[in-house]
Amino acid sequence: METLVFQGLVGLSVSMYLWLLAAGLTIVFGVLGVLNFAHGSLFMLGGYFTFTYYGLWGVDFWLAIALSLLSVGVVGYFMERFFLRHIYHMEHAYQLLLTFGFILIFDDAVKMIWGGVAKIPPMPGFFEGTVSVVGRPFPVYNLFIIGTGLAVAVVIWLLFEKTWWGKMVRASASDREMAGAIGVNIPTLFTGVFVFGAMLAALGGALGTPVRVVAPGIGAAMIIQAFIITVIGGLGNLKGAFVGAVIVGTLSAFGILLFPVFELFLIFLIMAVVLLLKPQGLFGGG
Amino acid sequence: MSGSKEISRRELLKAATVAGIGGMTLGFGKAGIAATAKEKPAAPAKSTKKVLGVDVIKLGGQGVISGAHADYGWQIQSGAVLAIDEINAKGGILGSRLELKFMDEELKPAVAVKNARYLATDWGAHLLFGVDSSGSAMAVGPILPELDRICVFDHASTHRLTEELVYGKGIKQIFRISVPVYQESNLAALIFKEFPNIKRWAGIHCDYEYGYSTWALFKDTLKKLRPDVEFVSIAWAPFWTMDFSSHISAVMAANPDGIIATPWAGEGVMLLRQALMLGVFDKIQAWFQCMGASVDLLEGISNEVGAGKFKDKLWATARYIHNYPNTPENSVFVANFRKRWNRLPNYSAENAYSTIYVFKAAIEKCRSLKTADLIKAMEGLKIMTPAGERFFRPEDHQAVYNVPGGRVMKDPNYPIPILGDLKVFPAQAYYRNPPFQALTMGK
Amino acid sequence: MKTKLAILLIVILLALLPVYAGKYAVYVVIHILLLSIFSLGFNLLFGYTGLLSFGQAGFYAVGAYGCAKILLAYPSLLVGILGGVAFTGVVSLALGVLCIRHTRIYFSMLTLSFGMMIFSLAWKWRDMTGGDDGLVGIPRAPLEIPGLFSVNMVPMENYYYVVLAFAFLAIALFYRLVHSPMGLTLQGIRDSETRTACIGISVRKYRLISFTIAGLYAGLAGALLPPLESTVTPPLAHWGHSAEPVLATLLGGIYSFSGPIVGSVIFYLLKDIIVRFTEYWQICLGIIVVVLVMGFRGGVASIFKRKGGRP
Repeated sequence: METLVFQGLVGLSVSMYLWLLAAGLTIVFGVLGVLNFAHGSLFMLGGYFTFTYYGLWGVDFWLAIALSLLSVGVVGYFMERFFLRHIYHMEHAYQLLLTFGFILIFDDAVKMIWGGVAKIPPMPGFFEGTVSVVGRPFPVYNLFIIGTGLAVAVVIWLLFEKTWWGKMVRASASDREMAGAIGVNIPTLFTGVFVFGAMLAALGGALGTPVRVVAPGIGAAMIIQAFIITVIGGLGNLKGAFVGAVIVGTLSAFGILLFPVFELFLIFLIMAVVLLLKPQGLFGGG
Repeated sequence: MSGSKEISRRELLKAATVAGIGGMTLGFGKAGIAATAKEKPAAPAKSTKKVLGVDVIKLGGQGVISGAHADYGWQIQSGAVLAIDEINAKGGILGSRLELKFMDEELKPAVAVKNARYLATDWGAHLLFGVDSSGSAMAVGPILPELDRICVFDHASTHRLTEELVYGKGIKQIFRISVPVYQESNLAALIFKEFPNIKRWAGIHCDYEYGYSTWALFKDTLKKLRPDVEFVSIAWAPFWTMDFSSHISAVMAANPDGIIATPWAGEGVMLLRQALMLGVFDKIQAWFQCMGASVDLLEGISNEVGAGKFKDKLWATARYIHNYPNTPENSVFVANFRKRWNRLPNYSAENAYSTIYVFKAAIEKCRSLKTADLIKAMEGLKIMTPAGERFFRPEDHQAVYNVPGGRVMKDPNYPIPILGDLKVFPAQAYYRNPPFQALTMGK
Repeated sequence: MKTKLAILLIVILLALLPVYAGKYAVYVVIHILLLSIFSLGFNLLFGYTGLLSFGQAGFYAVGAYGCAKILLAYPSLLVGILGGVAFTGVVSLALGVLCIRHTRIYFSMLTLSFGMMIFSLAWKWRDMTGGDDGLVGIPRAPLEIPGLFSVNMVPMENYYYVVLAFAFLAIALFYRLVHSPMGLTLQGIRDSETRTACIGISVRKYRLISFTIAGLYAGLAGALLPPLESTVTPPLAHWGHSAEPVLATLLGGIYSFSGPIVGSVIFYLLKDIIVRFTEYWQICLGIIVVVLVMGFRGGVASIFKRKGGRP
């Protein structure tokens, strides 16, 4: 029993990375209607910037994270302002294709700038240490990740429910024309939302750097996980994304413990089943 | 107004596209024709003064130069370039100089095959080498007879390459200079046979052939040497696993004394960092990281080793380590590599470096570039290399040489950790020998 | 008339290829032909029916593994290829029934998940598929009809002609298909599902037909691979491979008949040439994709047509 609890908690910390990744993707899809294939690449860039600021230049870890968010925010701004903005009216297929093109560009760009070798910065001292959970050592770092994930969920909820900006965003998501008619500057708002989503992805990537490497290609590998989660939870549904991330993370952790032959197959099967039976996802409304 | 602008833009693009496609077709056809010319055996000698009949000996190499395992391709290329520059500076091989073309195999067998075909039939490589992934090696091996070229494999470690394709199917164009998968698994068993307190073993392994073979061989060999051990837990991690926490906590739930792990390169660094976080090194007695003495991995855990976080419990091996053997050849090689590239050489670099010198020895022995002659020259070849003396045994064209295992530790003479407390065994102790029995890789 | 002459010229050039081109060029052209078949089928789904599939590589792999298993047991070329195609047809029909229940992004995600399920099967089912090592040692079996004739396929030039024949057949069949009433129906469904349904067309039935044919074409391209390379491995089913016909078709022109073929030529040659000089081929390809989507969604084909189909 303790083993299950412990494994579940480990799975939860894995889920929180996935949540941070999926949250941005979901917001961008829900508001802008764009499924950003290159979202995982923004996650990857968050890791690369943190590696540079913290690992190479010795900037304070928290400041490095903030700088990384800003840096990726800038990248996101350029992506939206000069490219995505011009294709909102097109079919989804073209948006997928355009953002796929960006995956290719980012993968080589990071290779050109940082080289092909996987990078990892030193581990910050304050993350060391464990707490005892059901008699086993659980890393402080993983607790921190869980805490951050939950905090981000709360902040996003507050942002979209309680603030004026959040209300504008939700209005534009449900009826773009109407929102524009009552004076919302849609283009600027959309850019803001995209940048926000990009920074969320970057946060996930940045926080992971003490224990995860960044290397070209990681963005493409992560986007599939993000797709799976958002499909299960419901494309465009934030609550669904959170629950989806928790499901995928913990299920996978239990799978590794109980069924060592746990297969990738199963996770794609679940994705297909959800798409077939309830394409709006577990939480998607009609 | 915009109409005429649009038309002229279209016209321009039309012309450019036609020109581009036309140019490519022409260039391609020309390359094709040139390639046909190259295939004719009796090519007019460019310079009758050259013993080998050509000014330039072309070497075609490939490795992984992208993704989480990208360092290995870089190392192969760097080691090869170092050797080629050294040899060219001394006049080349029998008066002909060496030229290299290096390509990315992208860890995909289809790409590796295409590269091999291009290098051999279009670019005109006389010899091929490299190849990081086992899947790629198994795909490239069978086409070598058609290409009529030797390929010296520098990293791909599946035992099947030499056991099935060379010994079994007689594909004599395959040679392997690096020690294969049975080295790390059998070596680990030999090392830990001597630790009576380590009885319960767990594994965290790559969820592909490399992991399956290593785990199967390790269990098989250790059980024979130590009937009292048990294998209590196993976790499988596919390519691109970023988070091993679930795997680590799963195997730790079984309270193992020792853990053997195969995830390599960037994944290996992540695995070890995450294991440290989970307090694994407080609980277990030993951790054997199969390709742990690889330079990129050592660089990634350098700080942690320096701070003693692994509590002297981290063991590793690799296919060559920079601080063994303590010979002049090795010291000179390491020093030159560091001077040139400002990094320590990985086993892939040493393997590639030695490959070029193996080519040199073989060519000088038979004074020919014909594949059939070179095969005869390389079979049974004994040559001194930085990793020690290598012997290409004729049965399966596998190079036999010694690689020790040891504890990962800091050494003031090196900027990154080294393997110390070396356990050296004669190669025969851990090499598999013919007749080979197929491995049953049940999970 | 000009088009007919151009086509004749291309056919002659292709028929004579082994005479004037080197071995590697023949190998490359075979691959371009395979990609063309793959892309044609993909475009039936995308350009003509409006469904973007990210899982076609799954069917390619089914065709490849199917042919491989047959050839390993019974080395006769036609049996292997046709067997692989037939098997793929069954699989794509079965999966098609499930996939066409949705459109747009849900369809794309569904095809992505099925494609990756096939990838996982190929990787894990070691006993059947050889796992990550794949199936090795597949013979380039002779082209034979027992009792009538048997042609040795070991020289690559011989196999080239077999592939060429299949490619011509596939293209000709495709031409008939899209210029038939069915072709028009599919485009009607693409442009307006409701209107087409209103005139009594079973939208689902036509989407299913389109999906199955696309799968068959992918299966043919896949089945032609094992005799060429003697190895089949799981990456054939990965979504990254599914992206190839997508990019090739986008390059060549989604709304034109020859777009997928032209695009396959350009895509394959571009990558082949770029990798000889630099390892950074992805950024070149990525920039081209971005430029095309932003400005030339009709692809290369639209540059050659004044009225380039749809914007």
